[in-house]
Amino acid sequence: MVSPHGIKLAVYLISSYFGELNAKVCDCLLRRGTQTLHQVVSSTELSRKNVKNCLLVLIHHNCVQAFAIRQPGGFGEEAKIITQYMALFDNIIHKLRFPKFIEIVSEELGKECEEILEWLLQHGRLSLSQIIVKYKQASKQVGMTCHFPGDSSADAAQDSFNRLVNARFVERCPAPDPLLEPPAEEETAAKKRGAKSAKIQAQTMEQQALAAAAPMESMRFLVENIWNDSVEKADKRTTDVKCGMKRKQEDLESNTKDPATGEKEVLWRANFEEFIRRLRHKACVANVKVRVNNDAAIVLAATLELSRHSETKLRIDNSVPQSINAIYDEVIKREGGLGMDLERIRASLDDLGCEAPLMEIDETYSVDLKNIIEQARIEEVESIVLKRYGREAYRMFRLLSKADRLVETDKISDTTFVEKKDAVKILFKLWKDDYLEMKKVIARAPKQSEFILWKINKQSLWEHILDEMYHAALNLRLRTTHEKEQEKEILQMPKDKLVGELGNKYMRLRKVCIVLESSLMNLDDSLMLFHDF
Amino acid sequence: MSRSSEAAALKRKRPDSSTQGLVDAELVVLNVVKSKKNQGVWVADVKKEANIAPALVDKCLTSLVKKNLIKKVPSIQNKAKKYYMAVEYEPSEELTGGAWYSEGKLDKEFITVLRETCLKVIGMMKVATVEGIHDFLKKRKVVECCTSQQVGEILNSMVLDDSIIEVKSTGLGEYHSIPIGSVCYRIAVGVTSGPKTIGPMASIPCGACPRISVCTPDGIISPKTCVYFTKWLDIEF
Repeated sequence: MVSPHGIKLAVYLISSYFGELNAKVCDCLLRRGTQTLHQVVSSTELSRKNVKNCLLVLIHHNCVQAFAIRQPGGFGEEAKIITQYMALFDNIIHKLRFPKFIEIVSEELGKECEEILEWLLQHGRLSLSQIIVKYKQASKQVGMTCHFPGDSSADAAQDSFNRLVNARFVERCPAPDPLLEPPAEEETAAKKRGAKSAKIQAQTMEQQALAAAAPMESMRFLVENIWNDSVEKADKRTTDVKCGMKRKQEDLESNTKDPATGEKEVLWRANFEEFIRRLRHKACVANVKVRVNNDAAIVLAATLELSRHSETKLRIDNSVPQSINAIYDEVIKREGGLGMDLERIRASLDDLGCEAPLMEIDETYSVDLKNIIEQARIEEVESIVLKRYGREAYRMFRLLSKADRLVETDKISDTTFVEKKDAVKILFKLWKDDYLEMKKVIARAPKQSEFILWKINKQSLWEHILDEMYHAALNLRLRTTHEKEQEKEILQMPKDKLVGELGNKYMRLRKVCIVLESSLMNLDDSLMLFHDF
Repeated sequence: MSRSSEAAALKRKRPDSSTQGLVDAELVVLNVVKSKKNQGVWVADVKKEANIAPALVDKCLTSLVKKNLIKKVPSIQNKAKKYYMAVEYEPSEELTGGAWYSEGKLDKEFITVLRETCLKVIGMMKVATVEGIHDFLKKRKVVECCTSQQVGEILNSMVLDDSIIEVKSTGLGEYHSIPIGSVCYRIAVGVTSGPKTIGPMASIPCGACPRISVCTPDGIISPKTCVYFTKWLDIEF
């Protein structure tokens, strides 16, 4: 389940991007889970029209997914189809990371692709023809592209767009309203009102909905060549352009209807999954670079580059096995990898924890990514413990995290050289803040004595840390807004008047905002580490 | 029994009895204390086992101490409790807390010296096993009276501090003199001890904030009025 502060952060983000009404609807969906329009109206006490509009905005920005379920009617009534709405928490939080997504594209594909991605992020979803129109407007403004009637800039737009899709940074939007007909549908529907008892089932229902809505893998990154006849039309019309002549067969995949012709047009959106995958790989490489060495980082980066396209889901535990030759070819392409020979690569793979295969015939390697992520998480938590509870607590925490089992108080204080009384105090403090689990054991023979055992439960600790991080992220944003509000007058003044005292204040505000925002960006890396990776 | 103990009490009052040897009650108490060997015995337990009037037990104990037959020993488990032990025994590790304790207190100075020395030795030797370090210390007579087990414990705690790392010998290169697979230690990559990177969460005030659980957007503790935030943002410039 989503953590309480995660919800607060998500709602705050929505309110700062789309205003209070949307935030209210979003809050309702996040807190109460999947709901129908009617339920949202009654729990938010907004007008039906408002709620409808809000849902439309949120759906358009990929923050909400609608789906329909068939509810059997009682007493001879016909089955009803009920549309439900669910909030997509991850997609809302992704809004924090848009700058990172843009940076990835800008580094890899260049300025034009970056611009297209920016529009997609800004507008949630766009059709190709809308993108082309925007592209033309932009190029006209800059006055860069030639003035031939349309085509070359449209070609360029199409080209950049294709590159984005080929790199899987952009995907087709999911179906707007997939119909779910689960076998146990009666139970689900009946239990729906029972809120918490139905939670487990509701969860699976939501996952089903997402799976049903997602475009088929073969369609997901398929750009049809629309260029032959529809471009001219696209050129002639102004904004609401039509281009999908050949897509009648895929009614389910296509999304909106063109009001003019009644035909459907493919909408596209940023593919967050791919971006998160890139960031996950980046984080793994960065961690290895610090923890192991530079060579290992280069080899890992090469292996991940090779394995990327065959990854089927986001959180793969091990990288897809690659042959040593393929890794070698990729390594020497990289910066700093030119001087590496097979021996060094094998040594680095060994450092990464890969075991050399027994048989020479098929020498493939697969890196344990899960372990790297786990290490990075532990490091993050350890540094928090050191900062918040001091070095002795840090030592004890590391002992427990290495032991990964119940350890007795005396044993802890002996191994970490902490005075027994202090050890108990520190352990209790950590326990009170949910960093540790405690177990009391009473031994009866030969004399009655009580032992206290301690353990780190990583799963629940990760959840706890994640919640604190959401809290901290929200705090950083709130403080940024607060600082800006404090100096509202300065921000509204023309720049040439900002001299002397005012100038200093302005500079201070600027620095404060940079510190807060960059801290938030860094903190977001950790959020992803604990939530998405 | 009660009658005999009264008699013993009466006997004890006679001035010459203490020099004469022990009275019955003292003998009982002494036997109880002796039977516990180096574990020592808590006063309350003596009273329970000896089955003599509590006040008398106290008297017996003090007189036995005076006669130098038993001694009082500090216990690390519970400093308030009084423990007794026959003079011929040395207190067990459970009582003293082991080699790292002197007089019931953790000998921090000794530990710090030993840690620093070990770090220097590892720095010189680059890679070393526990025995290697212990031999080095013994030869140079840097630290007296410390077993290789103690050195092992010290090294272990330094691993926990992340100032050294534990590795397995590969038998190649630097490890040539160490048998393959044996555990050895080397200095961690970063010179300073502690985590190599300070996580993003730990580098903002909220990461170290003890009051984060009561902090709310509009509460008494809130990010808008947070003093830690103000301090942090002011120090930056």
